[in-house]
Amino acid sequence: MKPPVFDYQDPASVEEAVDVLARHGAAAKVLAGGQSLVPLLNLRLARPEVVVDINRIDALDYLTEESGWLRVGARVRQRRLEREGDVRRTVPLLAEAVRFVGHPQIRNRGTVCGSLAHADPAAELPAAAVAVGARLVAHSRSGIREIPAEEFFTGPLTTALRPDELLVEARFPCTGPDWGWAFLEVSNRHGDYALCGVAAGVRARDGRVQDARLAYAGAGPVPVRLRQAEVALVEHADLEEGIRAAAAEARRVLRPDGDLHASSEFRRHLAAVLTARALRLAWSRASTCSGGAHA
Amino acid sequence: MRIEGTETLHAPRDRVWALLDDPQALASCTPGMQELRPTGPDEFEAVLSIGIAAVRGTYKGKLRITERTPPERYAVQVEGTSGAGFVRAVGVLELEDQGAQTGVRWSGEVQVGGALTLGSRMIPGIARMLAGQFFQCLDRKLQEGSP
Amino acid sequence: MREPLRTVQLEVNGKAYTVTVPVRKTLADVLREDLQLTGTHVGCEQGVCGACTVWLDGEPVRSCLLLAVQAAGHRVTTVEALGTVDRLHPVQEAFWENHGLQCGFCTPGILMTVAAFLREHPAPSRQEIREVLAGHLCRCTGYQNIVRAVEDAARRLQARRT
Repeated sequence: MKPPVFDYQDPASVEEAVDVLARHGAAAKVLAGGQSLVPLLNLRLARPEVVVDINRIDALDYLTEESGWLRVGARVRQRRLEREGDVRRTVPLLAEAVRFVGHPQIRNRGTVCGSLAHADPAAELPAAAVAVGARLVAHSRSGIREIPAEEFFTGPLTTALRPDELLVEARFPCTGPDWGWAFLEVSNRHGDYALCGVAAGVRARDGRVQDARLAYAGAGPVPVRLRQAEVALVEHADLEEGIRAAAAEARRVLRPDGDLHASSEFRRHLAAVLTARALRLAWSRASTCSGGAHA
Repeated sequence: MRIEGTETLHAPRDRVWALLDDPQALASCTPGMQELRPTGPDEFEAVLSIGIAAVRGTYKGKLRITERTPPERYAVQVEGTSGAGFVRAVGVLELEDQGAQTGVRWSGEVQVGGALTLGSRMIPGIARMLAGQFFQCLDRKLQEGSP
Repeated sequence: MREPLRTVQLEVNGKAYTVTVPVRKTLADVLREDLQLTGTHVGCEQGVCGACTVWLDGEPVRSCLLLAVQAAGHRVTTVEALGTVDRLHPVQEAFWENHGLQCGFCTPGILMTVAAFLREHPAPSRQEIREVLAGHLCRCTGYQNIVRAVEDAARRLQARRT
C-alpha cells in the first residue's frame, strides 16, 4: 500500500468535521476530491495522522445563485461548473478557467474549494478567484468568517485557513453588465499545470475600458493581481495602447521562477503575450454584451 | 536551483552580526528548527520539522559554517534527509552597513532529491517564504534589543 | 500505529462485494488485490498516467486517487464490464481493428475514458480526441493509432444507434 497509515474519519455534518479538526489541528488533513492530497499520500510526502473525508457531508453539495453571488459548496466537483450552463452566465470566467484544470477524469472528482484550499501557485481556480474578487467562507468551532481571495493565498500551498478551519464555501460575485472575461494559459500539454495563465476582465463603457481585472497563475508564489496594469488600461483612451501598456506592465512587474519546463524570462514573455490576447478576447465579449442585451 | 533575496534589518550591522554569530539565536528563528547540537567547531547537527500544507517532514542533517568574515559575510552549508528525500544547500549572507539599519543580501543554491523533486517548481517560492519568516524573527529580536 | 480497517460494501460491475480493507488502501489496489479484477492497471499512482481509470457512478475517475472506503455507496465500473472476449465493446473492437495499442498497459484506462467520452461527444473532432487522450500516457504507440481508433469507435457507435 502506498499511503502511510492514518486514521480515517468521515463525518456527516460540518459541525462534526470542525470538531475533528479542532481536536487534531495540523495533524489532520481534509480530504475532498483528493486529486492533490491522495498523490501526496501515495508519495508519502504527506503523513497526516487523521484524514477527514468531507464527502459524506451532503449539506456542502450546493451550487446556487443568491443575491448577486454564485455560492459553491465544498463538495461541488469542478466538472459541475462546466456542465451547469448557468455558470457561463453568472461567472463566465470560472466556467472558462475550470476547463484548464487537469483532465475530465480529475475534474469529475476534484472540487472547486479543494483546489482553492490546496493553493497551488500555478492552479487556475485561485487566479480566477482573485480576478473576480471571490470570498472564501471558513467554518470552525469558534464560528464562521469570510476571507477575501486576495488575502486567502499567503504562499505556495499556504493559505490564511487555520488548521481548525474548514473551507465550506467559495462565493464568486456574479459578473456585472458590460463586463467581458477571458482565461488563457500555456502549458506543455493540455491539462498540465500552466507555465503561465491569465485571467482577464474588462468593463466596456462608450467604447472605452472603464474598469479591468488581471490576475496570473504560475507567475509567483501566490496568484498575482496586477493593479498597475488594470490602471494602465483604464487610463489609455486608445484600447490597443492600453493593452500594450498592460502587457508591458506584466512583463516588467512579474517575477516568476524558472524551472525545468520554462525559464523565468520565457514565463514573463508568456505573461505579456497572454495579457494582450486575454484582454482582446475579454473586450470582444464585453462589447458584444453592452451592444446587446444590456444596451 | 538558485534563490536570492534582500531584506532590511532595523539595527546597526555590529548588532546584526552578533545575533547571527549566536547559534541559539539562529536556531530559535529558523522555521521548524527543533534541535541544534554543536558537534565541532562551526559544525552542528540539526533536526528540522518543516510543514508546507500537508507536506510535513522531519529533516535530520548537518549544518556547517563555511565562511565567517565579521561583520560582512557568512556562509553555511546544509544537508538534510527525510522520508521524502534530501535537501542540500549552500547559503551566503552579506551584510551592508546602512547606519541605523542593515541591508541583507542572501542567496542560496539548493538541490533536492527523492520524492521532493516533484515539488521542485514550488521550492524557490517556499524557500523565500521561510527566509522571510526567518528574517522577520531576527528583526523582532533586534528591535526587542536582545542581541 | 495500528492499521485502521473498515468493512465496506462495494458495488462493482453490478455485483455486491463486502470487503474489510485498510482505510488507506486505494480503490485501484482493492479492485486488483481483493476482488481480483486485474484489468484495472496501476501505473504512476499520482493521477497522471490514467491507466487506473474506472467509472464511479458512470463517470471516469482515477481509482488510484480514491480510497476504497470512499467508493462505498457508489457504483464502480471497471474494464471487465465493458465487453467480453466473445462480445467486445465497440470501442474495444475499434482499438483491435486499428491497432490502437501495443503493449496494452495503458489500454484499460483509455477504453474507460473513451467509452464515457463518446457518450457525451458522439462525433468528436480530432482536437477534442487529442485533448481527452492527454489524460493518458502511452509510451508505445505515439498515439496515432489511438486517435484513429477513437474516430473509428465514434463511427461504430453512431452506426449502432441508427
